[in-house]
Amino acid sequence: MSRALALLATLVVTGGLYAAMAPGSVAQDSTDSTAVEAGRELYEQSCISCHGANLEGVSDRGPSLIGVGEASVFFQVSTGRMPLARQEAQANRGPVVFTDDEIDQLMAYIQANGGGPTLPSGDLRDGDLSAGGELFRLNCASCHNFAGRGGALSSGKNAPNLSEASDLQMYAAMLTGPSNMPVFGDNQLTPEEKRAIINYVQTLDESTDPGGLSIGRAGPVPEGVVIWLLGMGVLLIGVFWIGSKA
Amino acid sequence: MSTDYRATGPAGPAAEHSSGSDTTPSGDQLAAMSHAELDLLGARLDDTQVVVLSDPPPPGSIAEKRAERQVALCFGLATLFSFAFVVVFWGSGWFLPDWEYEVAGSVFGALFTPLLGLTMGAALAFLGVGIVLWAKKLMPHEVATQGRHGGASDPVDAQTAGGTIMAGFERTGLARHNIVRRSLLGAAGALGLLALMPLGGLIKNPGRGDELMKTSWADGIRLVRDDGTPIRPADMLPGSLETVFPAVGGGNRQADAATMLIRLRREQVDELRLEPGREAFVYQDFIAYSKICTHAGCPVSLYEQETGRILCPCHQSQFIVTQGARPVFGPAARPLPQLPIDLDDEGFFVARSDYPEAVGPSFWNRET
Repeated sequence: MSRALALLATLVVTGGLYAAMAPGSVAQDSTDSTAVEAGRELYEQSCISCHGANLEGVSDRGPSLIGVGEASVFFQVSTGRMPLARQEAQANRGPVVFTDDEIDQLMAYIQANGGGPTLPSGDLRDGDLSAGGELFRLNCASCHNFAGRGGALSSGKNAPNLSEASDLQMYAAMLTGPSNMPVFGDNQLTPEEKRAIINYVQTLDESTDPGGLSIGRAGPVPEGVVIWLLGMGVLLIGVFWIGSKA
Repeated sequence: MSTDYRATGPAGPAAEHSSGSDTTPSGDQLAAMSHAELDLLGARLDDTQVVVLSDPPPPGSIAEKRAERQVALCFGLATLFSFAFVVVFWGSGWFLPDWEYEVAGSVFGALFTPLLGLTMGAALAFLGVGIVLWAKKLMPHEVATQGRHGGASDPVDAQTAGGTIMAGFERTGLARHNIVRRSLLGAAGALGLLALMPLGGLIKNPGRGDELMKTSWADGIRLVRDDGTPIRPADMLPGSLETVFPAVGGGNRQADAATMLIRLRREQVDELRLEPGREAFVYQDFIAYSKICTHAGCPVSLYEQETGRILCPCHQSQFIVTQGARPVFGPAARPLPQLPIDLDDEGFFVARSDYPEAVGPSFWNRET
């Protein structure tokens, strides 16, 4: 009996300590439960048909949301990928359907019922720029292109252009691996390394093009096309003009 | 267009003057001729006719004045743009904003190089346009034709030229001095052999030393990241990929050793179908494949974790992770070689042997 009491006491203390120290502190508790309730209503209106009544997913429609966490919800909903208008090769960035408050409520609901990775806070560009560049080329550039301009994948899917993504969206994407993107957990890319990558991508996006027109920054292919069509066109017009009789 | 024949060919009235040295004018006559007349005389002596297709506008006419103005305008603009180039180049940092590459740079910083290019390009273009306008509008348009000269040389010239060459050869005495001739041939042959030697250095036997068959992976060699850190199972979440190299000196620079360590998601583990004998190549839900495409040797690193496909960016070959990296699309014909992995005593990933087959594209004496 005393052993059971001791166990109970330990559990209570541990639980209390966890509640006191866990992110999303105790002060928010009263608003949290209303947020979860509001989130449930939104979920039942917009998400339930594909993700199921208990976040368990519906086969051939939508995956289970257990364990995806608020980070995944934030990424999918704040980029307008969810709610999905129709089933296609992959969900693409689109107009955002929910307000910021509603996204918070949905996040609270999924986090409370499914658990999973949570969003970071603070300055997400606080990282070493050159290390970020190295990590980006090693881990990201194969799909997202060396300038973060995205690229094609198999069967109509694509790795999106990163120029529209916010710091938090990039962080959430690395953390959760949305759609076909591999997951980069905190033991694989530390939060510091993630911030370095975000700093690099956003810096790259904000930098000017001292060479003139960037032509999408997608590399030698568009540059070659422009040289062929425009350069050769102008040259041909010049040749015809010189050769024509006065 | 006027067709005014200023010079006529052999069929015309001038034909009788066009050949024979007796028609060559004397020194006094030459001195009295204008440049244009001298030019025509030279052409006629050379059996050349110049046909004038059209004349420039008459001197002092309105058309001539207009053409002059157009040409001068182009040359003026070329001058202006050249000066603009100088102003942009030297003015930057003086009375124009300083040019410097910055991340969120100024408008001038973004325009500096394009402005230099535009001003220089425009200067060159207007100079060219001016020259073409000048040629088209202010010069006569002429076509010159020249008669073809007869073929063979004079027999005397041909014989004497041949004689010069042969006499030169005979004077060297090579036909007579046998020992000189043979030693020279020997030296020339040896020198040719010497010249062939560097080519031999380019030809190697790639089969020697099994260079193409083996990589640095071996039993107990750790899988490390690009920065040399080893990997524990807990470092990777389901649905993640890490590019790993063998923990040997310079391992992360060995092109044939690059390997993808993939942690499968639970449902992918359920549908894992490997060739018989390879079931033990995996460690729980971790699986490792060569990163080198079996088609042309590109790094295949576009991993779609949801569909479990690895896509090669070069020719769009696709490999299914859960089926032993079997190719399902594109030109690759063989699966990506699978690396057998395990954990060592400290809980880090190690290889259990080298790849069972050669990595990368096919070659002539490949065994598998």
